[in-house]
Amino acid sequence: MAEVEETLKRIQSHKGVIGTMVVNAEGIPIRTTLDNSTTVQYAGLLHQLTVKARSTVRDIDPQNDLTFLRIRSKKHEIMVAPDKEYLLIVIQNPCE
Amino acid sequence: MPISPVNSRKQQNLWLSVGPQPKKSISFTNTVKGGQTKGYIGANQSRMAMSKTLMVLPEIKTEKMNISTPRTVIQVINALGVDVTPRPLYHQDPHMGTAKPNKLLTSQEGSYASDYISSYSLYQNTINPSMLGQFTRSVLGSSSVSKSSVSTTESIAEDLEEPSYKREKLTSFTDLRVVRATPEKIVTKEDLQKTVEITLTETETLSFFNLPTVLISVESEEAGKVIRRNKIYETLCRNRLGNDLYVERMMQTINGAPKNKEVQCDKIVKEDKGVMSSTWDLYDSYNAMDLSPLPTKQSMLESTSKASIPSKDREQRVTGSTIEKNSEASSLMDIENVILTKIRDDEEDHSESIMKSDKFRQDLFFMERVLMENLFQPKLAAYHQLPVLKEPEPAGPEDFLEGEKLEQETEEEVKKEEEEEIEIGTEESTIPANLERLWSFSCDLTKGLNVSSLAWNKTNPWPERIYQSPYGVTAVDFSIGAPNLLAVGYHNGTIAIYNVQSNSNVPVLDSSESPLKHLGPVWQLQWIEQDRGTTGDDKREILVSISADGRISKWVIRKGLDCHDLMRLRRTTASSSKKGGEKEKKGEALISRQAPGMCFAFHPKDTNIYLAGTEEGHIHKCSCSYNEQYLDTYRGHKGPVYKIAWNPFCHDVFLSCSADWGVIIWQQENTNPFLSFYPTTYVVYDVAWSPKSSCVFAVANESRVEIWDLHVSTLDPLIVNVANPGIKFTTVLFAKQTDCLLVGDSDGQVAVYELRNMPTALDSGRVFAQNIGHILDEIFLGYLI
Repeated sequence: MAEVEETLKRIQSHKGVIGTMVVNAEGIPIRTTLDNSTTVQYAGLLHQLTVKARSTVRDIDPQNDLTFLRIRSKKHEIMVAPDKEYLLIVIQNPCE
Repeated sequence: MPISPVNSRKQQNLWLSVGPQPKKSISFTNTVKGGQTKGYIGANQSRMAMSKTLMVLPEIKTEKMNISTPRTVIQVINALGVDVTPRPLYHQDPHMGTAKPNKLLTSQEGSYASDYISSYSLYQNTINPSMLGQFTRSVLGSSSVSKSSVSTTESIAEDLEEPSYKREKLTSFTDLRVVRATPEKIVTKEDLQKTVEITLTETETLSFFNLPTVLISVESEEAGKVIRRNKIYETLCRNRLGNDLYVERMMQTINGAPKNKEVQCDKIVKEDKGVMSSTWDLYDSYNAMDLSPLPTKQSMLESTSKASIPSKDREQRVTGSTIEKNSEASSLMDIENVILTKIRDDEEDHSESIMKSDKFRQDLFFMERVLMENLFQPKLAAYHQLPVLKEPEPAGPEDFLEGEKLEQETEEEVKKEEEEEIEIGTEESTIPANLERLWSFSCDLTKGLNVSSLAWNKTNPWPERIYQSPYGVTAVDFSIGAPNLLAVGYHNGTIAIYNVQSNSNVPVLDSSESPLKHLGPVWQLQWIEQDRGTTGDDKREILVSISADGRISKWVIRKGLDCHDLMRLRRTTASSSKKGGEKEKKGEALISRQAPGMCFAFHPKDTNIYLAGTEEGHIHKCSCSYNEQYLDTYRGHKGPVYKIAWNPFCHDVFLSCSADWGVIIWQQENTNPFLSFYPTTYVVYDVAWSPKSSCVFAVANESRVEIWDLHVSTLDPLIVNVANPGIKFTTVLFAKQTDCLLVGDSDGQVAVYELRNMPTALDSGRVFAQNIGHILDEIFLGYLI
């Protein structure tokens, strides 16, 4: 448990990381470094996207499954590690 | 009314009726029964039995519990004193109890007086009018006729239904009566659990209808009779018309009053449900049958939430099950508060479990790696010698045009860089060769400590594995055959082997118990693949170590570390006499016979030959086959030799560095130094040949890292990288596949440098060998000249 906390802190302190969020399956944030409204917004939108992405992957091959999702935009990159019970979201600004 | 002398029956005299006199006001407790008998009221045929029935009725009324009553002789005498006692038409066979499908309703009455059971059976029989034959039919017919002729009372009217129906009711009535006879049993639990035997049998065939055929075969015996009869009938019909014998008469059958009955059932609740099934949904459902059911809390929650939502007609759901869960959850929160709190409690549990789950840890791990990759993408690309992607700078709205220009510029830059990197050899690069610092590994733990040796295993900026050991680590090496084994040499002389796949601090093997372990710090460790031609084994990997106690030993992993001494380094005096001076010159008081060994290097081709450097400054060429004698000694250094390295391309040449500030290049055949460099006045800790070029080597001394290229110059290093003040560079290591150099320093940091714009030619190894050979020859000649 402490190891997990330490890793989370380390991730947050990396260069360029804007925010780190862990939300559960219902969209309720468990741990977040951003404000609540932003978190909820991200969680909701990304959840839908994750479900769609997973559905796409599995439609092509049902034995496959989605493990990681990265969305690169002009301003930053959103990285999502989805799971059945939670969503791990990290937003990073790779270039300074 | 004639009174029949019936004895011992109370109200019977009132009920007697003889002959066809209709009875009007007969009311019975059981209308069914009454109906039955009423059917016979007014029957034209002298149904004396009827009266008997009537007489029996009060019996029924009064003696309901009686199963059997004694047969009493009833006599009916009419007004004229004639005994008109009806004779029973049915004589019950005393032996045959119940199942006689015998004729008449009348016959039942005979037994009325007797057992009710038999009457019950008879009643049963009456259900089969067919069984009763023609007579019965006529009776039925007559009964219906009689019914019609009788002026209706209410009870009669009710009973104008089918006689069979009544009879059924009657049977049920008698049923009841029979059943009531048995005392009621209290059903206990044991009784419930007792096995009850149920015998299933077929009931006797009940024929409800039998219409015998009226066709007779022409060939039968009766044919003649029938034909005659038919002819008579035909003539009769012909004569009928004007005949006086036949009178036409109208009849009307009274139809029973129809009765309507309405039935309404409970409202049938319908629910619509639709699901879009995708390929994976089908796959999951198909496979879920093999898996065990999942009664998790969440699913229970789901079901309760589903139940609580009022069932309305839902539209077809287009989404998969997970979104259903979501929408349900959200609607749930609107509706029920109780379940909301329940959810919250569960969630709290869940969030904790999420944080602790293994999957989460793994995801975090990956996330970090990905982040790192992002951050270091340009540098990693340089490391891997891939074209570097420059991020287009985000342009603000005002600077849109400028931003575009910038992008173009950066693109150009990228192109330029690529060109440069590719065409290094041909173009004259304006940018001088330099070391670009890519990144550095540093860790709080190693801060302030010397990085004594580097061994190749790529790690993240934070340590992947930390092995705590009680003593200072002085040497490390990764095994070639089993790359997860890391051999570590300690300051106290023990050697330990770790398995990097595991995180545990405990080494897999340890030499601390071995009697032949080293007594001084292990300065170098190396895994060597040795030909074991003599023993017939395949190439076996052995671990060779050299330590300050003057022994070079070979460790074999059999059951634990097994040690053999390869060589004992003896002290040789400075004054050179012969080769392999084993004998010590007298007169010199030596503290120990052994010379502390500092380093060794195995010949790249011939793993039997190796060089060992000692603290005295001598380099001995030894062979594994001899452990007493040196093959050769190279003298040139005046201080302890810290590192020896064979040239990977040209196998005759090797490098050595020592504390006497010097780096010397030797040729194998020559025991005198070939080339020596004294670039600085600092101790040189490490040298290494570049794996890419035969003429390039790196030197790490206290203050700086130098890259020498013999091709370019033998007097000055090609690149000099000065260290930050206070930090000494202690080790260098070349990266094998890329142009990178790892430098360790006394601050505990390992920096990765990229060699850029090196004027190297991409030639093959042979050419390299020739290269350096030529160069050395040239230099030699130059010197000579």
